Amino acid sequence: METLDTVVSAETPEGIAIELRPAGLGARCFAYLIDQLVRFVILYAVALPLSFTGRFGYGILLIVMFLLAWIYPVVFELSRWGATPGKRLLGIKVVMDNGLPITPAASLTRNLLRTADFLPALYGSGIVSMLLRRDFKRLGDIAANTLVVYQPEAAPKVALENVEPRPPVRPLDPQEQATIIGLAARASRLTPERMDELAALAAWVTGDAGRSGPDVTRRVLGVAQWLLGRR
Amino acid sequence: MQVDALAIRLRQRSNGEAADLGVRLCQHAARSVFTCYLAVALPIMLVCLALIEVAAWLPTVAIWLAKPWLDRTILYVLSRAAFGQATTPRDVIRARREIWWSQLLRSWTQRRLSPWRSLTGPVYQLEGLRGARQRKRVRQIRAGKSGAGLMVTSAFGLAELAITMSFVSLFVWFAPQGMAPELWELLLDSENQTSIQFVFALAYAITVAFVEPYYVAAGFGLYLNRRVELEAWDIEQELKRARAR
Repeated sequence: METLDTVVSAETPEGIAIELRPAGLGARCFAYLIDQLVRFVILYAVALPLSFTGRFGYGILLIVMFLLAWIYPVVFELSRWGATPGKRLLGIKVVMDNGLPITPAASLTRNLLRTADFLPALYGSGIVSMLLRRDFKRLGDIAANTLVVYQPEAAPKVALENVEPRPPVRPLDPQEQATIIGLAARASRLTPERMDELAALAAWVTGDAGRSGPDVTRRVLGVAQWLLGRR
Repeated sequence: MQVDALAIRLRQRSNGEAADLGVRLCQHAARSVFTCYLAVALPIMLVCLALIEVAAWLPTVAIWLAKPWLDRTILYVLSRAAFGQATTPRDVIRARREIWWSQLLRSWTQRRLSPWRSLTGPVYQLEGLRGARQRKRVRQIRAGKSGAGLMVTSAFGLAELAITMSFVSLFVWFAPQGMAPELWELLLDSENQTSIQFVFALAYAITVAFVEPYYVAAGFGLYLNRRVELEAWDIEQELKRARAR
């Protein structure tokens, strides 16, 4: 059975498949609002001193407004973060379809086409496009072959309960090892009953197949300790 | 809970990704979702729009009030889609007691005011708990996720606003040549409150018909992710697979 997920896979020139996790409406909407706020603050900070310089200042202000509208996202997207301040705050960034950093041409294209996304009003087309496409692209992203993705985040550190390490009854393949360790890492956030239930599913690693209970759970957690190198 | 039967890839997701997964589920099951939802929503909306005869502001408010109740049909279809099952309007009618008539009063009052109703809705509708146990369960699902629920509601609220305004703009755009300025005048004329309210109500109705399933789905995604987190579904699936080998 096909299982549903939001990830799109891309292939690097070396033939390695990587998974990109495209970001949808929620994150992008708030990133945009934060960017609007940042723009507003910059504009205000520039306008205040310029207000004493008369018509010359007004001219400068118009140029600043133009730059904020069209160049602000391009500059930030081409920076080493690949994201505007709003996007960074939400943990998303812009990359090319194949996962490479965004190119200047693509950044210009996707940001110039904001006009198309904005139509008929308030980014109506962009929002509809994001809801209808499985990779959540707006029109500018389609034209520029770019993708807004979640940045990979570091897995949170977990403290494992201190149990006596014990070897499994048979060698485990890497995936089985990862599962047992994953179970131990989640132990602190599960209710004891649920933990016993899950440990019973893993009881075969300690030769306890078919049994369950707190003792079995402790032995399974012991195997996780052993797998992590505590002997 | 038959974790193996889920048609969704189980892994731990951030809140944003969880909401996106909901949207993805809605896209995947779009045919089932929209046929069932529109079969219920279109008659309701026609009735709401007809209320323009009573008062100019009433249609918009009536549609807004009806949303939590309409959500129940969408959620029923989505909850089946999560297990890879298609749904027809006939299935909805067969389950009408549970979908339409259960918790009727609350859907129109308390749920309407909840700022995270798409996150907590699945608990009320799908888990079959009552009274104190239900309240406790809602608190558990919401713990640390209220902010995410609120974010989904506000993001989709803004999307609704944007699309409604888009439809109103389109209405003016497609006016016959030379008519557009007069049309704006007509829309903004305070004498003509009924016509302007009707245009807005119609645009709002079309928007709700399109956006609401995605909103419910985003909240459902958050709910599923919360349960994956609380009950370690992803680990359970892996363990079952490992045992089967």
